[in-house]
Amino acid sequence: MTAGFASTTTRPVVRVDRVSHHYGEGDSRNQVLFDASIEIGAGQLVVVTGPSGSGKTTLLSLIGALRSVQDGAIEVLDCSLTGLGRTELVAVRRNIGFIFQAHNLFDSLSAYENVKMAMQLGDCPPGEMRKRGMAILDRLGMADRADYKPRALSGGQRQRVAVARALVNRPRLVLADEPTAALDRDSSGAVVKLLKELTLKEACTIMMVTHDNRILELADRVVNIVDGRIISDVTLRDAVVICELLRGMELFRHLTPSEITHTAEKMRRRRFAKDETIIREGEAGDEFFVISQGSVAVRRRAFDGSERLLETLQAGAFFGERALMVDEPRNATCVAATDVETLVLDKVNFRQALEQSPSFRDQIQSFYFQRQ
Amino acid sequence: MILHRSAARLRVLSARTLRRSPVPLAWRNLLSDRRRLARSAAGVGFAALLMMVELGFRNGYIESMLLVMRRLDGDIMLVSAQKYQFERVAPFSRRQLYEAGGVRGVASARPLYLERTASVWRNPQNGRHFAVLTFAFDPDQPVLLIPEVQAMLPELRAQDTILMDRRARSVLGDVAATTDGELSGHRIKVAGTFWLGPNFFNDGNIVMSDRNFFKLLGGSGRDHADLPDVEVGVIKVAPGFAVSEVQQALRAAMPPGVAVLTKQQLIGQEASLHAKLSPVGPIFTAGALVGFAVGILISYQILFSELSDQLVQYATLKAMGYGNGYLVSVVLQQAAFYAFVGYLPAWALCIGLFRYIGDIMVGPMQLTLALTAQTLLLTLAMCMLAALLALRRVITADPAEVF
Repeated sequence: MTAGFASTTTRPVVRVDRVSHHYGEGDSRNQVLFDASIEIGAGQLVVVTGPSGSGKTTLLSLIGALRSVQDGAIEVLDCSLTGLGRTELVAVRRNIGFIFQAHNLFDSLSAYENVKMAMQLGDCPPGEMRKRGMAILDRLGMADRADYKPRALSGGQRQRVAVARALVNRPRLVLADEPTAALDRDSSGAVVKLLKELTLKEACTIMMVTHDNRILELADRVVNIVDGRIISDVTLRDAVVICELLRGMELFRHLTPSEITHTAEKMRRRRFAKDETIIREGEAGDEFFVISQGSVAVRRRAFDGSERLLETLQAGAFFGERALMVDEPRNATCVAATDVETLVLDKVNFRQALEQSPSFRDQIQSFYFQRQ
Repeated sequence: MILHRSAARLRVLSARTLRRSPVPLAWRNLLSDRRRLARSAAGVGFAALLMMVELGFRNGYIESMLLVMRRLDGDIMLVSAQKYQFERVAPFSRRQLYEAGGVRGVASARPLYLERTASVWRNPQNGRHFAVLTFAFDPDQPVLLIPEVQAMLPELRAQDTILMDRRARSVLGDVAATTDGELSGHRIKVAGTFWLGPNFFNDGNIVMSDRNFFKLLGGSGRDHADLPDVEVGVIKVAPGFAVSEVQQALRAAMPPGVAVLTKQQLIGQEASLHAKLSPVGPIFTAGALVGFAVGILISYQILFSELSDQLVQYATLKAMGYGNGYLVSVVLQQAAFYAFVGYLPAWALCIGLFRYIGDIMVGPMQLTLALTAQTLLLTLAMCMLAALLALRRVITADPAEVF
């Protein structure tokens, strides 16, 4: 099962493994992070929330190679940060886009030149810089202000330039600390829209400290840190997506919205490549599958040992429920007929859902008997 | 038309190179705030001006001590080995000069006489007395390369006649208008004037013939009234002989009491004496050093406050992935710009100032190429040192603090 999982997902962009961090020495030693672990895949917009002083900025600066890792391990963009020297940390930073609360632009440089400062560190050939720099400024609605000095720009415009500077090298990872705190509604909207687009179109990973509700709505995942500990890590988009999927399925038609939400929250999405075996006949079963995308072939072994195709299940169909209900080994083999995305519910949660929702139990049973 | 087109091409070209070249951060920082730039330039310029004036004084002082030596018409000079300063009287025997004249390769060996304590000039306007420097030579064997003196050799031969330095300090009176004067209690005739100038110790110069010198001032030869001692033996090398070769021959011929120096050696020895051993040279050198130290403080203040103002920006550059090397180069560039921007107006101001001071002290205050280069380098060094001190600010800037 896990092998199938790994085959369809890339390595995480950020991997934080049991990281602790403290400031000061001796009596003034003050621990700000406790055993924090988190993995972030490509294309996610992760919002980090928490009260001030909770360690979220420290976590971001560790991931951004702005501080040295003291305890634990951090991997960023396939590069382990543990034990890196100052020069190597500087090199890692070049692949990361930073957006700060303040714009931190040079007053002496024009908007374009501030962006160009970042391009000089990237792989953009000098002859292309103007084109690329203007393109990103244009996406942020700043093309006509490219030659203005920051003093001649509004607060929102300055921050948009700072965002352009962070994104112009098309980093695979963007770290942002309250990027919209100083922005008016319109500027904030433009910035957030661009960031979201980056995650969707270019699989850019964005990790952002913010309290801005408009960003929370777009976040794929919300990580809450309190007193240096990650106390919750909710994958919002999955839950939302699963909810939407369940709502459209015959199986869940009669469930109340809250029952669907509860079930969806306990489900995990899992992808399988074409021809991958999802469950195997004769094995013990402990998971229930709903197909959200693709189709699955169900096969059963005949007495002569040959396998026979029973049926092909399409999106919205489910399988694997029998082994959970009657505690028997799998009575068929299910193989992905195409690339398949499934929603998985484990045994405990499946049974809980059956108990808590009579309509769900009825639905399952009626489908179950139909199939027999 | 062609001119116009090439100018346009140049403009396009420079725009294109500018577009391709890295952002000139140091230059932009320099120009971003014109008022601060003016303040900074004034600060750096003040220190540069101080150094220029002090070193100008020093050079002017030394140069004034060399005025006559530079105008001696000879390749090699014989002086008493006792003579440690050109104007301190330390004669040597005339006999030795005659001997020198017989050395192979010597074209001529002519005497110069010098007096500076017994020659007292009376200001014709107010009657007060001042010591002046008197030079004397045989008009048949002239040794001074001063055109007016060379032109008035016949007048010099007349009895009780002198030539007066018309660039003498004004305390000597209106010397140009004087025809009848008084020197050391003798009535004398001023036959004309020449252009030389005073120095730190003397208010003016007088030139006369050797005969008048012995008659009016008693000469420097006390024991040999018939064969008076000489102050300087001015030697010309015959054509076809190398100066060094003749110098060697003279050294072999002269007793240890007579030093044989080329003109350049004599001048160099005198210059280094005034620069190092006399109290005056080191005072001005110290003044220049004070200017340098003040300049370091001023430019340190300027750079430090500017870096502090932009600390967040520099820390951001570090977060973006710029190394310390880049930041150091930006700060050093900026320091160099400040050096030039401060130096230029100070230099221009100095041209006028030197002329004014030169007129007052009647001395050779010259803003020479050497002094320009020297003070420009000092100003650069001053700003660079200040930059190195101020650099700590950006090097310790922690990019993590920006977050």
